[in-house]
Amino acid sequence: MADMIKGNVAIAEAAVRAGVQFYAGYPITPSTEIMEYLSGRLPELGRSFVQAESEVSGINMVMGAAACGFRALTASSGPGISLKQEGISCISDEELACVVINVVRYGNGLGTLYSSQCDYFRETRGGGNGDYRCIVLTPESIQEAVDLMAPAFELAEKYRIVTVFMTEGALGQMMEPCVLPDFIEPERHSWALNGKYTYKKIGIFDRNSMTEAVALNEKHALIKENEQRWESGHVEDADYVFVAYGLPGRSVKGAVKELRKEGHKVGFIRPITTWPFPENGFKEVNQNVKGFITVEASATGQLVDDVALTAKRVFRERNVPAWSLCCVYGVPSLKFTKDGFARIMNNELKEAY
Amino acid sequence: MAKERKVPALIDNPMSFCAGCGHGIVIRLVAECIEELNQQDNIIFPIGVGCSSLLGGGMVADRLHCPHGRAASVATGMKRVTPDTTIITYQGDGDAYNIGISESLNAAYRNENITVITINNTNFGMTGGQMSWTSLPDQKTTTSPKGRDSGATGLPFRFPEMVAGQFDVAYAARGTVTSPKNVNKLKKYIKNGLEAQINGEGYSIIEVLSPCPTNWGLNPVKAMEQIEEQLIPYYPLGVFKNRKEKQDA
Amino acid sequence: MREILYAGFGGQGVLTSGLVMSQVAVFKGQKATWMPSYGSAMRGGTANCTVKYGNDTIYNPGQEEPDLLLAMNGPSYQAFAGMVKLGGIIVINSDIISGELDVREDITLHRVACSTLANEIDQPRGANIIMAAAVIKLLNDFSLEDGIHGMNDMFEKKGKQKFEAGNTKSFECGYNAV
Ligand SMILES: Cc1ncc(C[n+]2csc(CCOP(=O)(O)OP(=O)(O)O)c2C)c(N)n1
Ligand code: SF4
Ligand SMILES: [Mg+2]
Repeated sequence: MADMIKGNVAIAEAAVRAGVQFYAGYPITPSTEIMEYLSGRLPELGRSFVQAESEVSGINMVMGAAACGFRALTASSGPGISLKQEGISCISDEELACVVINVVRYGNGLGTLYSSQCDYFRETRGGGNGDYRCIVLTPESIQEAVDLMAPAFELAEKYRIVTVFMTEGALGQMMEPCVLPDFIEPERHSWALNGKYTYKKIGIFDRNSMTEAVALNEKHALIKENEQRWESGHVEDADYVFVAYGLPGRSVKGAVKELRKEGHKVGFIRPITTWPFPENGFKEVNQNVKGFITVEASATGQLVDDVALTAKRVFRERNVPAWSLCCVYGVPSLKFTKDGFARIMNNELKEAY
Repeated sequence: MAKERKVPALIDNPMSFCAGCGHGIVIRLVAECIEELNQQDNIIFPIGVGCSSLLGGGMVADRLHCPHGRAASVATGMKRVTPDTTIITYQGDGDAYNIGISESLNAAYRNENITVITINNTNFGMTGGQMSWTSLPDQKTTTSPKGRDSGATGLPFRFPEMVAGQFDVAYAARGTVTSPKNVNKLKKYIKNGLEAQINGEGYSIIEVLSPCPTNWGLNPVKAMEQIEEQLIPYYPLGVFKNRKEKQDA
Repeated sequence: MREILYAGFGGQGVLTSGLVMSQVAVFKGQKATWMPSYGSAMRGGTANCTVKYGNDTIYNPGQEEPDLLLAMNGPSYQAFAGMVKLGGIIVINSDIISGELDVREDITLHRVACSTLANEIDQPRGANIIMAAAVIKLLNDFSLEDGIHGMNDMFEKKGKQKFEAGNTKSFECGYNAV
């Protein structure tokens, strides 16, 4: 029998079991329990933990550990993740692998401590300067979070890319039972710096951005082709399909169940990877679908952009409208989604696209 | 008669520093020390951003270009996961003491077991000679065209003395490249710093007063004289924190 | 599915009361979630958590419409009484919340003097367990034995088995108080 466990603690233990050798970070609510837990747990296993002086420093320490071929992790939220962008961009540029956990909190600047999804654009677009993207995983439950931790590293290493593990304050702080994954002992990457110059990395001044651009596009195409993950339900005959991820995605599944009972032909797509965006999930949708509706914990609606762009690609000859129901922060209740649906049916809410 | 010095095998490419630049001399000394300490197969360079980055093109060794100012943090991550590998940051004064002052100080504060080499040429060489925190009072730079106004911009500061005085570090020294005698001394400092790391004694820093003829607007000879006449009086040469075992020597 | 809101001052142990409930449900093979207020929401000295449990998937772990509110202090009662589901239950800590209360007609109100009871049974820190037990009794989904086993299992796994006898005493006291 699985016991109640706090999201952040479960995520941290899952990282330990995925073979994390190094953690560096700086405390910020609602991510802090991850570093608190690892501060004891990693040294206990002979691995390394550093409380860095800032998020800037923390991500650069992660870069150093990752360059040496070990599984390295950092976690933060809001402005802390902003400070990490410099490092994330550099790690991406150097094609190193690491995992960055964003326990998203609401707001611009210092923001608030509320659980939210307001960092969707930043995480799915790369976030720092340059042309790179990160693979973005967005779990709906503590169980899914711990199950995604080893894949987060495997994907990062397979493609030599940063994986952003984007969860929400509420998921980090809540408890529910989960079965923790087994321990794995990853090997040091073959492309690691080991002091012996076995990996003949070229210096920045000898690089060729034109050839690298080709390789980058190929890599992104490969990731889009192979790594889309999503969960969907009732999409084949749906008039309206909800799209939501993380805890709102989980809540929306409950709303869809109730709306179906009430006779509405609705379905849902819950992206598990928000980059690559699960376009393939949209290909299974009823060809005559009347619209997509996102449910998101942001003020302005961000996910809806990807939904509209994807609808454009999948339903080329038709303009399928996309609405967004934004609860700003928190986890939207089933009622929120159902009320929003009613407003859309009554023409009280204008579509975003 | 001068002894012939073999070019260390670690250096395989000519590096594109300006004529009379100090960087090349220091890199060569570092490479010599590495070989003499038998570390050539056990070395990683987290490299700063600046003319110091050019090291990346010249050495056949593991190296990583760090974000501007963050080399001490990158080095920390490297050292923590591979404690037996020798880690040397190679940074400029702008990199280590301006944008990276936090990372530099905090690595020293933790007494991180790494070696930091800072090339102090009292300006931002790579970007065309802007003022640095180490620019001297009244020094003309492209962002202090009338000479550095210390009242408004602060006084240049001495990093090795600072960490030697405030933090529990293993070794802190300043040298220069103006004469064979000074070069030999500098090499001793670098070697001590590396030995401190290899023995697990903790953080070591060697700052080098280095000419930047291009941005100082001087020819190479005059640039060396400038160091002797203007820089050394402000930035004394020597060891500010000696290794414990060497204290009596 | 059941939804319970536990609210009070920080330090009154409401988060633990809720955790006991959720762990008892899990112990009996049900699904459960526990969602706390955290961060700045706690700084004012108030704490609360929402617990949901049942046999079906819990889609939204957040607060919606509690079947039962446990209010350990006046401000919690004021803040949350209005959110309780039609025909729901409110349990108040009558050691702190006294006097006339404006109670909705559909609500069943239970007053439990948990601190007084805790002192009577010589378990001065047991008020929150007393309340946890009262809630479990009122919801009538789990027996006294289930409650005690689930609770003791939880504390044992946290390495706190030395409090087992005291906790059991408090639980029995609370279960019998309503
Ligand atoms: C974040 C960031 N800001 C600014 C720059 C531009 N930049 C490159 S090198 C440099 C100054 C380097 O000065 P210093 O460290 O003294 O090295 P030097 O060239 O003098 O050896 C600056 C500002 C950069 N690369 N990154
Ligand atoms: S600009 Fe100055 S520091 Fe840079 S290479 Fe030229 S002389 Fe050296
Ligand atoms: Mg400089």
